[in-house]
Formats: sequence, C-alpha cells, structure tokens
Amino acid sequence: MEIRPILSALMRSKVALILIGLQIALTLAIVCNALFIIRQRMDTMGRPSGMDEANTFTVASFGFGDSFNTKNAFTEDLALLRGLPGVKDVSPMNTVPMSQSGWSEGVSLKADQKTATTSTAIYFVDEHGLDAYGLRLVAGRNFKPEEITVRDARSSDWPPVLMVTRALAEKLFPGEDAVGKQINISGDPSKPMQTIIGVIDALQVPWPESFIVNGDHNAPSYSTLVPQMTPYGTRTAYLVRTEPGRRDELMKTVEQKLTDSNHSRIVRNIKSIEAIRAECYREDRAMMIILLTVIVCLLTITALGIVGMASFWVTQRTKQIGTRRALGATRGAILRYFLTENFLITSGGLALGALLTYGLSFWLMAHQQEAKLLPWHYVPVGFVSLWALGQLAVLGPATRASRVPPAVATRSV
Amino acid sequence: MFAYYIELGLRSLKRNPVLTALMVLGIALGIAASMTSLTLFHMMGSDPIPSKSTKLHYVQLDTWDPNQPFDEEGNAPDQVTYRDAQALMEAGKADRQAAMYKVSYPIQPENPEVKPFLALGRATYSDFFPMFEPPFRYGGAWDHGQDSQHGRVVVLSKATNEKLFGGADSVGKRVRMNDVDYTVVGVLDEWRPRVKFYDLTNGSLNDPEEFYMPYTTAIELKANASGNNQCWKPSASGWDAYLASECVWQQFWVELDSPAKLAEYRAFLDNYANEQKKLGRFQRPLNNHLYDVREWLENQKVVPKDVQIQVGLSFAFLLVCLINTVGLLLAKFTRKSGEIGLRRALGASKPQLFAQHLIEAGMVGVTGGVLGLVLTFGGLAMTRMLYDYYGNVARLDFSMVATTILLSIFAAVLAGVYPTWRACQVAPAAQLKTQ
Amino acid sequence: MLKMSHLSKVYRTHMVETHALRDFSIHVRDGEFVAVTGPSGSGKTTFLNIAGLLEDFTGGEFWLDGVDVRGMGDDARSRLRNEKIGFIFQSFNLIPDLNIFDNVDVPLRYRGFGGAERRKRIEESLTRVGLASRMKHYPSELSGGQQQRVAIARALAGSPRLLMADEPTGNLDSLMARGVMELLEDINRQGTTIIMVTHDPELAARAQRNVHIIDGQVTDFDEEPKLRKPGFENRDSRLGKEGVLA
Repeated sequence: MEIRPILSALMRSKVALILIGLQIALTLAIVCNALFIIRQRMDTMGRPSGMDEANTFTVASFGFGDSFNTKNAFTEDLALLRGLPGVKDVSPMNTVPMSQSGWSEGVSLKADQKTATTSTAIYFVDEHGLDAYGLRLVAGRNFKPEEITVRDARSSDWPPVLMVTRALAEKLFPGEDAVGKQINISGDPSKPMQTIIGVIDALQVPWPESFIVNGDHNAPSYSTLVPQMTPYGTRTAYLVRTEPGRRDELMKTVEQKLTDSNHSRIVRNIKSIEAIRAECYREDRAMMIILLTVIVCLLTITALGIVGMASFWVTQRTKQIGTRRALGATRGAILRYFLTENFLITSGGLALGALLTYGLSFWLMAHQQEAKLLPWHYVPVGFVSLWALGQLAVLGPATRASRVPPAVATRSV
Repeated sequence: MFAYYIELGLRSLKRNPVLTALMVLGIALGIAASMTSLTLFHMMGSDPIPSKSTKLHYVQLDTWDPNQPFDEEGNAPDQVTYRDAQALMEAGKADRQAAMYKVSYPIQPENPEVKPFLALGRATYSDFFPMFEPPFRYGGAWDHGQDSQHGRVVVLSKATNEKLFGGADSVGKRVRMNDVDYTVVGVLDEWRPRVKFYDLTNGSLNDPEEFYMPYTTAIELKANASGNNQCWKPSASGWDAYLASECVWQQFWVELDSPAKLAEYRAFLDNYANEQKKLGRFQRPLNNHLYDVREWLENQKVVPKDVQIQVGLSFAFLLVCLINTVGLLLAKFTRKSGEIGLRRALGASKPQLFAQHLIEAGMVGVTGGVLGLVLTFGGLAMTRMLYDYYGNVARLDFSMVATTILLSIFAAVLAGVYPTWRACQVAPAAQLKTQ
Repeated sequence: MLKMSHLSKVYRTHMVETHALRDFSIHVRDGEFVAVTGPSGSGKTTFLNIAGLLEDFTGGEFWLDGVDVRGMGDDARSRLRNEKIGFIFQSFNLIPDLNIFDNVDVPLRYRGFGGAERRKRIEESLTRVGLASRMKHYPSELSGGQQQRVAIARALAGSPRLLMADEPTGNLDSLMARGVMELLEDINRQGTTIIMVTHDPELAARAQRNVHIIDGQVTDFDEEPKLRKPGFENRDSRLGKEGVLA
C-alpha cells in the first residue's frame, strides 16, 4: 500500500496528526489504567470472607440501664433463637468480616516479646461459632461448651484456648502443625499464654482493605476465634445462620421474637452478611461504575471526533479524490487510502499513548494503597481496540470519499 | 460590534447544528466530569469553619509504645488517654478547652408512639459550644457548674427534638436515656458541617450527633466510647483501671486566640510531657503537636485517595474533550475561509476577524458550560447515590457554579485560539479566486 | 482509437431533465490530435468526462481502443482509464501535500508497478518535460507552467494511448501556454492520440482537426485530417473553413 506518500502528506500538515493522535494517546492512557483499576477492585471485592454469606445475618440488642443483665440476655436469647424453625445455628459474636468495626490484638510467640509478631482480628464466639459462621475446621477440634467463659465489663482475662485461621498459623508457625502451640494475645507478659486447639480454613478480618500489618498484605486473613461471650456495655450481638432460602423471612421473625421477649432493650442492626459486604465495598463499586462511565464517554467522544474531522477532510479533499479517481483509482483504493491514513494517525497516537499510559500508571501508584504497575498486556489489547475504534469511526467518511465521482476532477466548482 | 459578532456567531453555529451539538456536548461532558470530582475534592478539603479555623487546635501527644510507633509512618496516636485529657482540662491553660468522645445510648421516649431507638451522642465539656459554634434554636449549652457537678443535662439535635417532641421548645423537659433521666437545656438548629472535623477518627463524613451530654456525667456513668479505642498495653480489669490506662479513646481541642497563646500552649504541652516522663509515662521521644483545623484535616488525609484519582482522571478527560473541540472548530473555521477572505476584502482587519471568531468559540463554551452545569448536578446526584454518606459534600456551592461557567468559557476560548488564528491567516485574494 | 455512436447523456434531478449530449457521434483515429471546441455549457466537459471514462452515458455506443465500454462497472472503467488514458486538467490538479515525484507516482501506484519500474518511469517522464531536477519540490514552489508540465508528466508516466486535455493552457500566460502546446505537439508527433477541449480558437488551430459542439451536438464535423498549421503567425488564413469563433 502507499504508506510512504500518505505518511509524507501527513507530515506536511501535521495538525491532523497532532489533534487526533493526542486524543488517541490520552484515551489509551486513561482507558488502560481505568480498566486496570477496575480489575484490581473486582479482585478485592471478590475475596471470600470464609463465611456462609448467603444464609447469615447479624442482630444486636442494646439493654436499658446498668441493671440490664447481659449474661441472662445471652442465655435466654440464644435458647430462643436456636429453637426457631429454619434456624440452623446461632452464635454470640462481637463482629463479622467486612463490617469495618471490630477488635484486634497483637500476637506474640513469647510472653516477653517487645513487639508483637503480627496482629489478628478477634472473634468472640461460643461452641456454635464454627457452625453459625459456616467455617471449615482443618486441624484440631472445636471449643467444648465448658470452655466458654463470659467476660465482664473491662476485665482483661483471656481464655486459655483459641482457634486461628490457616493463614495466621502459617505466619506464626511456618510449615508446622499449629495445634498445641502457644501464643500470647493478651499483650501482658505476666498473664498465661493461650493454646491453639484448632485451625480453621479461612475467615477474613472486619477490615479487609485496610488491615495491613508491617507491610504484610496477608494480614486480612489473620483471624482468631476466642471462646468467650463479650458484651459491650449493654450490647449483646448474635450471628444467625438459616436453612437456605429462609434468611429474609427469618430476619423479620428474629427481630419480632427478640423484641417481644424482653422490653427493656432495643433490637437493631439486623443485617444480612450480603448487605454488609455491599456496604464494605461500596466505594470500590462506586469507583468501578464511575470509571466505566468515563471509559464509555471517552471512547464515544474520541470516535465522534474522528468521524467529525475525517468528514471534514474528505470534504476538503474532494477535488483531490476526484483527481485520483480520474487517474485510475478504484473506489476500493480510495477507501483503503483513508483507512490507511487513519491507521497511521492512530498508530502515531498509540506510540505516544504507550508512554502516557505508563506515566499515568506511575502517578496512580503514588495515590493508591496497593501500588501496582500496569501489567504489560493491557497495552497491546488497548492498541488493538483503538485501532479498531479508529477504523470503525473513519469507515463512514471514507465510504463517502470513495463515492466521490471521478468527474469532480474536471468540474471547476 | 460585540452584538454583531454574537449575531454572526449564532448564525454560523446554526448553519451546522450537528457539528455545533458535537462541540457543545464534548465540552459539557468534560466540564461535568471535572466539576463533579473537583466539587467533592473542594468540599472535603475545604475549611469547614473559616471564621475560627486558625484558633481551634487539636492536641496530639505521643504516649505510645516505646518499642514501636503508633502507625507505619511513625506518627503519634490520633487520640489521647483519659488521664491526659483530665490533666489538660484541669490545667486550663488555653482560652477554651474541651475533651470529648463519642457515646451511644438507647433513648426511651415518654411518648409510647415513638419506639425506643439507639442514639449517637457526644460527651464533652461546655466549652465545646462556644468553640465550635453550633447554632441553637432553643435554650443554650450547660455551664461549667454542671460540668463539675456531673449534671444530668442534655442538648438535643434538631432531628432528635423533632422525633421526641415534635420540634417544639423542649427546654426543661425530661429525656430518659439508658434508664437515666436528663433535662433538656438546649436544642440545636440545623447543623451540617461539611466534614465532621472535630472527630475525624470516628467517621469524618457522618452526620453530627443526635445529643450532647457532659463528659463528666458520661464518665461517672461509665459510658464506653462508641468510637475507636486503642491500647498498646492491656489495661487491668475494671472501669477505674481503664481510666488509668494508656488506652487512647478521646479527642482534645483547645481554642487559642493569639499566636502568643499558641506558643505558650506548645511550651506547656512539652513541659507536661517531660513531667510525665519522670513518672515513667511518655516513653517515646517528645512528639507533641498542636494542629489547627486545616492542618489536622490534611494530616488525617480526609480527602480519600479515590477522590484524588477521580480529579486527575476527569481533568485528563476534559483535556481530550478540549482537543476534540479544537479539531472540530478548526474544521468549522477552515470551511469558512471563503467568507473570511470576503470579509477581509470588504475591509475587516485581522483583529476584528479574530475577535469575531473567538466570540463564536466562546459562545460554544458558554452553552457547553451551562449544559455542563446541568450535567454536574446530575453527576453529583449520581455520586450521592453511589456514596450515600457523601450527602454533605456532594453539593454545589456558589463558588463551584461560578468556577464551572468560567472554566468552560476559558476552555472553549483556549480551544478556539489556534483555529481562529489559522482561519485569520487566510490571504483574501487566494480565497476569492477559486473555490 | 475512440468511437462514439449516437451517444446521449441525460442528467435527471427531481424536476429537471437536462440533455447534455444528444445523438453525439465522433470518431478519433490513432495518432490524431483533435481539438473539441464550443461555447460554455455546450457539453464539452460532459463529452470529455464520458470520453475519459469519468462518467457513464445514457444511450448510444462507445468504443475505446477497440473495447466496448457500455455497461462497464466502475472498477473496470477505473482500470481501463488508468491503463489507456492520461489526463491534463485546467487547474493542474496536483496534490499539494505531495512532492513532484510522489505526484507523478500516483497513477503508477494504482497500476500496480513495482518500486523500480515506477522510479524509472517517473524519472523518464519528468526528464521529458524538463523538470527532473525539481523532483523533491512541492507544487507550491513551482510556477503555473511548471505545474502543468508536471501534470503532463503524470499523464504520460503510464504510457497512455490517449491523452485527454481539458483547457490545458487556461490558467497560463501566453509564454507558458506556448511552451505547453509545443510539448503537446511533440507528444502527438511521437504517436500519442490527443483530444483537447478548449474554447480558444487559436489553440484549436494548432490541432490537426477541430470538432465543434453546440447544445450537446456536433455541429461542425471535420472528417478530413487537416494539415497542421505552422503557428500563430497565420491568423487570417484559418478563418472561414473551420468555423465559428467562440
């Protein structure tokens, strides 16, 4: 094809090249990086919590006055809830993954360590905890009913046994069996250590996006189950797991039953885990939607710009097109000429665009939590897409050009 | 001449409505995207209390673990301990001072129609109100006397007052919270600071509290903090041990009315820290800070990274739209070179033609700007939908509206400079001879 | 070489039917130099377009170099045009963003010649018109006469059998015009058929034969090839036999 003459004609009037080329370059940079951000957010949002999310919900009760007996509340409420038809299991709890609120402690391997080895999220449960959260035990055993204690307000005593997630076990005792090993989560060298009696497959911390400990990006998987019922003031909270399909109806039933059973309290925070997940990731989801909108608008504007400018040039060069036809060019040759010209302009833009893309990626890295450079394969995909976009956009004007009759060459207007 | 140019511009734009629409739409979209993100950025980062932001200061003391700093960047903790808050309140060295923390209590309305509900409140000292100046509708704050006497008094927010008393003047009435009766001493009017700057650690974009009560009362009633609580050393069992511990769970603000006072207070804080070191506390190197409101907002990075990225991306998008407009304007003006040559032949000077076409470009800009403004409203509404807690910041104020219009005119004129210049370079003779 | 028989061309718009050519017949033999004259609007340009395969015709027959052109598709006509015909236009129609070399190159590219072949032909035809030294220059850097000579080089580069010239000297001063006409005569002497459309009777006189068109029809049809006149000096002697002054 006649690439060299087209190129030298473009060089003569660089304006076209610059205007479209710059748009293409910026579009490539923005679209590639935006898609990468979307991908990263999708990956973040897709991480499993380790729980049975489809069939679980939380419920909390706030008693009135200091005379409210939280220990009784626990006992009565748990009995009531576990007896409801359709309920698979219920556990007392303090928090759930992705809720953005919870309790964390430093974990040490020796009592007298100056700084903790790492940190973990604490989940206070009883022996029904595994079942209620839907967790999988991969080593050791569950808590026994007699091992469950009740913590009084502002006491700092920890039970002697606990369970950890597999990720935490690997971190603390790499390559070894963690069951039977001792750790210290009390932070007090004078207090006894705790023994790991079980390892669960996975359970995320309540802050999956911000819980990074000493640069360790695995930290969102470090959770510990503690066999203790821990009210907060007059607040007691429960995690309810239902039979499949019965969650929504039971959310209403549970609220009613708890309210009716004790009038000295407020029952609230009845939320499904799915709702909690949506709330946790709503910023990521919003960012994704915003970026997608920007991508669509950008591609549309660029395509329309190409159509506009190409139409204009066809009109400007009508005489030239007629002359070429007179000199023997077929309609197909004229079409190919404009498609090729557009391809060259796009290519120029893409070359600059590749540089801008990585420039933008560096800028973004400075502004994001998990700084990652754009993977190389986004660029070739972006190239192909923008080439295609350009060719499609110019197809209309180029077809119009090819229809210019050869007789135009001789007509003087 | 200006009116003549406007008329010419209008006619020229009407001649090719598709091209004009494309240019206007391009500018409108670019402006809308940029202004939406810029508004968020501006509102989140701007001064929430300009009249006093230089006088109000947040106290930061490094009481943390000698073996490792509070966070990965080596900063001091963002809250203070009860011990230090009490000590600073008692010393009273600032013009005004208030320790505070977030509490939550169930409210038990007398009216059986209204179900009991959990309310979020702030336990603080009476100085809070003259310091932060929330507007009062009825009554006023409690006084220092009630602070020291642990008075059972409460100030309600406008919304809470609506819920409990239908919005009437409830000063003197009783409110039962967590089985304790309080007397209402004041009701606030509508108060929505853009950012909840006085408590950034516990939800900077949340709505303000539903009630305010004396700090001393809350402590006496052993009210736990509903906000963050962080300890580097475990506290012993019991409420009193907790109060004596090194756990940080409170905020401390002071008002210092002059630079001299500021310097004095800094010296006082360092002095206090050194004294505490002798008692075995404050084992880290001296690291006290007094931030004014804006410095504290910046330190706590209130503007989320996502918003910053959005600002960057949307301005890049605007740039693409502008380049697009340059191309389309170039196309439009070049097509008119015959008319331009004719006008020159009839006596128009280059500056006159330049002005005429720049005004035409500006008209595209104004139209694009107005449309962009409408789209920005839409964009902010969409933002409020996506981020439901942005209700206070995702709104246009007058300065943003003005910025929008000015930005779009500037953008269009900028885009129009090169095409106009090119068009006016036309030699009259060449254009008249051939078509 | 070129034979049209009872050709007609009708332009139809919504309301108006224009008969640009009616019952038009012409026969041009190999190696002739024919001038086609007529007032404005007479159909000269239409004839030129049809003869040059730039437009299709409504009725009648048309043979070009032995090929029946009627019903030929657009692509076939383009190819035939490219191989057999060279064009010279009144306003030169050079492509302003290409240099002289690339301008002459254009029809050769459509012909499909290889790089070496094209280079050879371009150099030869530019040498022939005397502009080989200006190969890298752009049209805007040349005078009108030089531009037209480039256009002639472009027309010749493909070794056409027929040269169609539309008012070739219309935009030139008398000195340049004379140079172009001498070049055309020279080309004709070397065997290329030339059909030249013009409204200038002085130019027409230099051709072997004149054809006069009024209102789309041939009015003065000269079958006999005339002896070529020596030049502009013999003004008086060409009046009378050849017909109407434009």
